[in-house]
Amino acid sequence: MKGLLKVLSPFAPDQSGAASVFYDMDCITVICDAGGCTGNICGFDEPRWFGDARPIFSAGLRDMDAILGRDDRLIDKLKLVSDKLEADFAAIIGTPVPAVIGTDMRALKRMAEKRCGLPVVTVDCTGTKLYDAGEDEAFMQLMEGFAGSQADAGKGEPAAERRLGVLGATPLNLSNIKADELIREKYKAEGYDRVMCYGMGDGLDSVRLASTVEKNIVIAPSGIRAAEYLKEKFGVPYELDYPVIAKTVAEKIGEIKDAKVLIIHQQVAANALRAKLEVQGNCVAVASFFGMKKELMNENDVQLETEEAYCRLVEECGFDYVICDPLLRRAVKKDSYGEWIDWTHFAVSGNLEEEICAL
Amino acid sequence: MKEQKAYYISAKELAERGLANIPDELQSSKHLIYSSPATLSFNSPGAQGFGVKRAGLAVPGSVMLLVAPGCCGRNTTMLAELGNYADRFYYLLQDDTDIITGRHLKRIPKAVKEVVDFHDPKPSCVMICITCVDALLGTDMERVCRKASEYAGVPVLPCYMYALTREGRVPPMTAVRKTVYELLEKRPKKSTTVNILGQFAPYMDGCELYDILRSLGVKKINEISRCKDFEEYLGMAEANFNLVLNPETRLAAEDIAKRLEIPSIELTRQYRIDKIHKQYQLLGGALGVQIDDAVYYEEAMATVAGFAERRKDLRAAIGECCNADPFELALALTEYGCEVTEIYGTVSGENFAYIKRLAEVSPETRIYTNLEPTMLYYDCSECKADITIGKDAGYYHPDAPNVAWNQEVQPFGYHGLVSLLKEIEDRL
Repeated sequence: MKGLLKVLSPFAPDQSGAASVFYDMDCITVICDAGGCTGNICGFDEPRWFGDARPIFSAGLRDMDAILGRDDRLIDKLKLVSDKLEADFAAIIGTPVPAVIGTDMRALKRMAEKRCGLPVVTVDCTGTKLYDAGEDEAFMQLMEGFAGSQADAGKGEPAAERRLGVLGATPLNLSNIKADELIREKYKAEGYDRVMCYGMGDGLDSVRLASTVEKNIVIAPSGIRAAEYLKEKFGVPYELDYPVIAKTVAEKIGEIKDAKVLIIHQQVAANALRAKLEVQGNCVAVASFFGMKKELMNENDVQLETEEAYCRLVEECGFDYVICDPLLRRAVKKDSYGEWIDWTHFAVSGNLEEEICAL
Repeated sequence: MKEQKAYYISAKELAERGLANIPDELQSSKHLIYSSPATLSFNSPGAQGFGVKRAGLAVPGSVMLLVAPGCCGRNTTMLAELGNYADRFYYLLQDDTDIITGRHLKRIPKAVKEVVDFHDPKPSCVMICITCVDALLGTDMERVCRKASEYAGVPVLPCYMYALTREGRVPPMTAVRKTVYELLEKRPKKSTTVNILGQFAPYMDGCELYDILRSLGVKKINEISRCKDFEEYLGMAEANFNLVLNPETRLAAEDIAKRLEIPSIELTRQYRIDKIHKQYQLLGGALGVQIDDAVYYEEAMATVAGFAERRKDLRAAIGECCNADPFELALALTEYGCEVTEIYGTVSGENFAYIKRLAEVSPETRIYTNLEPTMLYYDCSECKADITIGKDAGYYHPDAPNVAWNQEVQPFGYHGLVSLLKEIEDRL
């Protein structure tokens, strides 16, 4: 049955993705929920939370707030917080509650900006979509709202600085909370002076400079729409790349030759690993439960929509190697595939990859 | 530059303001809710510990079908890693159309049947957990459950994980406490059987309550968490009376009294020794017997006296993420000679009496609320603590010894008090 999970548990939802993009910025993030969604985000989907708590708040909606559509109360509460906390902007993120009652998020944005005197972005999440959809929209809101023109954005910045933007960098995509450091290191070694990972380690100042970068590296499908926007609006080119990998996978790559391989991860990461494996004569299929761009799919690639489809794919296609999150292993029959190689995907299991290295 | 300081109020000032004039900062409905890393499990009705999801599985042999958008089931991945839960959760995910039209309701009986056929052995019952979406859609889940039960051939019950109603008349944890006893059906009474209601884990084996009940002639003491199988669970309907040890179970007890004609007596967990003694006397009065608790009282009194002598002026910070009312515990420790410097708690009508008394014996005690946004700026250097009690208090004072006291096996009575004081001394 579509939507029925008998072995797996749900993956990171859209509101977690959106919150992840804003996490490292000086932002007051308000989850428009009753409390449970914020609990899920902070307690499960945001691994930076326990070491570095940030101003993420629940709107604390109650039944009568929802029934009567008391948006003004939410704005009053946001005003109270914005009076006490320093922030560059505020973000209001939707959940199933505003989705059901049809909250006008654009009206919320206008009301909040007027009342609080802060720039406000809203992300219309519903909790029914997956994290990549929330990230996609959050990156777009950031770039549309704050990326300045080249002429304005570059003022006061070193003229000769070589800048690189990285889109899609979040722990949900990278499964490690320090992956941005490795990414910066890699591209600085290639000659860039400043590598800006929007969403990990860089704030709104970097977003304001987004039009001045030489190019963008997009490391997950959730960054593609924002990269397209920056390309169209400011002429900034972009490339797809996934510069890091779990050490457990890196150590195995050399052994995999002339084999039939299945990789299940987010599409850009999986494609980057496929490129490595195909050089060694492997026949590689990529599958994902998350959004896949048709133009990046090969003939044998699979957009997974149900638990059954995933089980059928692994159990009936005779793969020599299956590379994906260990949590997915429990849904399939043991003897139906060759070797299983763990490649943790935080958005799937909520676990982090302990050691990563350059791919 | 805005002042970066966590809000607090002294016990004296709060008591003077009175229950009708509690500052907005201490009322969660008046501000955005800070999901402090210290308290996360208390902010979400489905999160860590015994939230609705885990609690709903208290019925032996049951499984749960969560019918909700994917986001509501996300943290269940974490629960599934705990023993005995990995294969007891199923999900029917709602999509955008479902949450607008409610069309998912038609799929529930079929999904339940599929779960029942898949699960080995066949579950004793299926709990259907629904969330804010169905609260807003006004779903009649009882009716859906009846249909699903007819279709799948097992009992099906609704579990309401309605975060929207957390401060309402029937909050989620109160509702689920009622749900887990709803499968009990009227049976002939056994005068020597008693149910203890309140928690989803048992009380400590050494708790004197068991001995006291046995001394009164009780032969079988039922707790849902100690029921080995569904049949033993059904045997709870034979009880002569229910002991309610958690006010959130009051509604369940009322329901049981109405349906099964089993009366109940409510006891409160306390840490002040004189109150524990008084409560046992009141229990005896209610049952029409004399309860002799002298041996337990004297042992606990000796522990208290030793503690008070050795730990005079011990500075303690107390949180609400523990098996105690933090205000009552603060009062107890103050009476035992400690200086309670800070409390992180939720002020309510139920505990305001403790606060008033605390204002007399420890007026400078600072009262914080975990949920207020400025707790982001809490600075432990402002107020030192030699010991912290509660998981949240441990978070705020990471360098002080911590007694989390949030174990699943529940403390109660003299034994709970003695165990706590011993654990404090062990940590020091």
